[in-house]
Amino acid sequence: MWGLLLRRRARTLVNTLSRWTAYEWGRNAAFAAAGAALLYGLHYGFFRLLFYLGGVELIGKLLIWKLTAMLLLMTFSMVVVSSLLTALTTLYYSYDLKFLFKAPLTLRVIFLDKSLESVVFASWMIGLILIPYVIALMRVEHLSAGFFAAFLAALPPFLLLASSFGIGFTLLLLYLFPSSRTRDVVWVISSLSLTVVYGLVRFSQPEKLVRPDALKVVAEYLGFLQAPTAPYLPSWWFSQALHLAAQGEWGAWGARTAALWTCAALVYAALTMLAGKVYFVGYSGAQEGALRRRTHAFRPLPEQRILGARPSAALLWKERTTFFRDVKHWSQILLIIGLVFVYLFSIRRLPLDSAHLRSLVSFLNVGTAGFVLAALGLRFTFPAISLEGKSWWVLRSAPVDVAEIMRDKFLFSALPMTAIAGLLGVMTNWILDADRFTAWLSLGALLVVGLAICSMGVGFGALFPRFTVENIHQIESSVGGFVYMSACLFYVGATIAVLAAPMQMHFMRMFGSGVWDDRVAAASAASWLVLNVVAFILPWRLGRRALERHE
Amino acid sequence: MIRLEGLSKSFGQYRAVSDLNLEVKPGEIFGFLGPNGAGKTTTVKMITGLLRPTAGTVVIDGRSMASDPIAAKKAMGLVPDEPFVYPKLTGSEYLRFIGELYGVPLSDMSSRIPDLLEMFELSPWAGELLESYSHGMRQKLVLAGILLHEPKVLVLDEPMVGLDPKSGRLVKDIFIRLARRGTAIFMCTHVLEIAEKLCDRIGIMIGGRMVACATLPELHSQAGQGGDDLESIFLSLTGGAEYAALLRYL
Repeated sequence: MWGLLLRRRARTLVNTLSRWTAYEWGRNAAFAAAGAALLYGLHYGFFRLLFYLGGVELIGKLLIWKLTAMLLLMTFSMVVVSSLLTALTTLYYSYDLKFLFKAPLTLRVIFLDKSLESVVFASWMIGLILIPYVIALMRVEHLSAGFFAAFLAALPPFLLLASSFGIGFTLLLLYLFPSSRTRDVVWVISSLSLTVVYGLVRFSQPEKLVRPDALKVVAEYLGFLQAPTAPYLPSWWFSQALHLAAQGEWGAWGARTAALWTCAALVYAALTMLAGKVYFVGYSGAQEGALRRRTHAFRPLPEQRILGARPSAALLWKERTTFFRDVKHWSQILLIIGLVFVYLFSIRRLPLDSAHLRSLVSFLNVGTAGFVLAALGLRFTFPAISLEGKSWWVLRSAPVDVAEIMRDKFLFSALPMTAIAGLLGVMTNWILDADRFTAWLSLGALLVVGLAICSMGVGFGALFPRFTVENIHQIESSVGGFVYMSACLFYVGATIAVLAAPMQMHFMRMFGSGVWDDRVAAASAASWLVLNVVAFILPWRLGRRALERHE
Repeated sequence: MIRLEGLSKSFGQYRAVSDLNLEVKPGEIFGFLGPNGAGKTTTVKMITGLLRPTAGTVVIDGRSMASDPIAAKKAMGLVPDEPFVYPKLTGSEYLRFIGELYGVPLSDMSSRIPDLLEMFELSPWAGELLESYSHGMRQKLVLAGILLHEPKVLVLDEPMVGLDPKSGRLVKDIFIRLARRGTAIFMCTHVLEIAEKLCDRIGIMIGGRMVACATLPELHSQAGQGGDDLESIFLSLTGGAEYAALLRYL
């Protein structure tokens, strides 16, 4: 029966591909090429880093493999987090579940079908990013294509094991807490725990790897390098398998890889057995809506005090109300709070000795904080239009302009995004004690970056709407999500590039080796203006036009 | 009130609706029938501004849907074939939201929303999230939503699906009263009995084309079956003989 379910997926894929028009083939080929370019950029960065580490005398190889183990641990954690977020929607709220549960299929077959879908959603993108790293590793270590095959052979059980954590947790959560209110509370507490664990991992200071002087003695540093990185987790087994393959110890590699596959098979078999007992209880509970009586007072909406009695106020009120009632968003908010703290902690731990270096980092913070903001935009702003989902008809048939809907989405994102951008800017400048010019420039740039990322998020979200998806990850990992993220990264990079000229003049003036040139500053400001006009207006207009014509 | 002129819609090579011309006058209930895949829902989507026509125009209460969509939509209420509503709003909040979108004054909303909820027997559930509503309850809530802003034009795509007999009767009475007050009603339905009892005129669509459009007595005479009911006329136009042949397989 499971084979039949798999064939339906294969048939769906074939049908989709066979119905692509020439335009769709061309468009998707262009996006694939852009994706390949992005992966190549990552590969280049990884190669430079590994090449540098490999060049360190005596301990170069140790550094490379320690970094590999840490990267795999990070990948493992990211897939665990991602599977926690996807498993709930895939296993309990997918559109096809009603059909599957009504069909003469056993619970275990349904579980296998939906849980593997969850594994794919949770891990494909994170797994893909490993490929440029492994190719960079092959180049630096002069490894053959056999190593890549060894990597590919050990990758699936690694990702499967990581995803099993989220799937197993969700199965038990829904079984033990079928009441929606209790489940929500447990979900939030779990997210909070996850945030704390994430913080603890960061506060363990993995930067010791590249800063030997942070450890007291050389022996301690060598001990750190040689010690297993989380030896009880599959990431370490995977890392060991790769190390053995690199050394040409194929027998030992085979044993490690077989152990990974066996472990994945056992864990998945255990999960499938468990699903036979608990899946239906959780599914049944998930069908029951939350019964929480709320009263509605017919007084002006809070948003109307600011925006007046226009539909915008009602749209913003609807957005706020529905967003905060969805418990899945709370867990993400908690993770963001954790992320901001970890980010600021990382800034504080940077080994910066001179005031000039600290100011330089404060300026470069526009880039790194911009990347964080882009990731938040991908999670919250870009999906906002698509999350109207099947209720889109309500707005589309109402006397509301598409631009007004987009403005509402922008406003709802802009406030928290600007607050986070401001917080990152102000706190980083304060921690680094940046000089006044740099502090104001970087803060101003970050605030504009935050707003531009929101504007692009709404614009690209409208350009690539997906109203029929059942999982926010399908929106994020779609072609549109990829284009949005690439555009954001390009925009942030371009911002750094155009603002580099006044920063350079500022530093040269401080060092007494140059003077401030107003013409260069004006050219830089004009370029920044043009960049922002394009970033704010182009995706917005394209998105508005596409959404008006959406069918 | 509703004027469709040369309305057509193509999806690639497939022509879903071809050259549809129709006028529904104030106070008229127009029944729009046809087999599955005939183009009824596509037509509804074009009328309500959810789809752009490939050719032709839609005019609602004198306003073109293409050039003045906001005014056209303000005069119209839609009940779609699937009543998807925001799962994280309550019944009262959904109606409040609709009222705000359509510019209903707050004082009117505060008195009419409780009345509408009462009328559709949704008052006990008014404070519950819509994710806990059944299909029929959501259908009634959407109907309450369109009554809240008193549209001049109602577009209904299978409005009776999921309603219990009492609510079905209530809804039929509401449509009749609204029509008497001058509301133009365009209704897609597969329930021929409802079309027969409620509609002043009936259009039958097959393969994207309107093959018949007339009052019930006129349809009878066109089909040459004066004494038969709408079901017989519908089947004779849409392939009743095939239906008889298919029964042999059961």
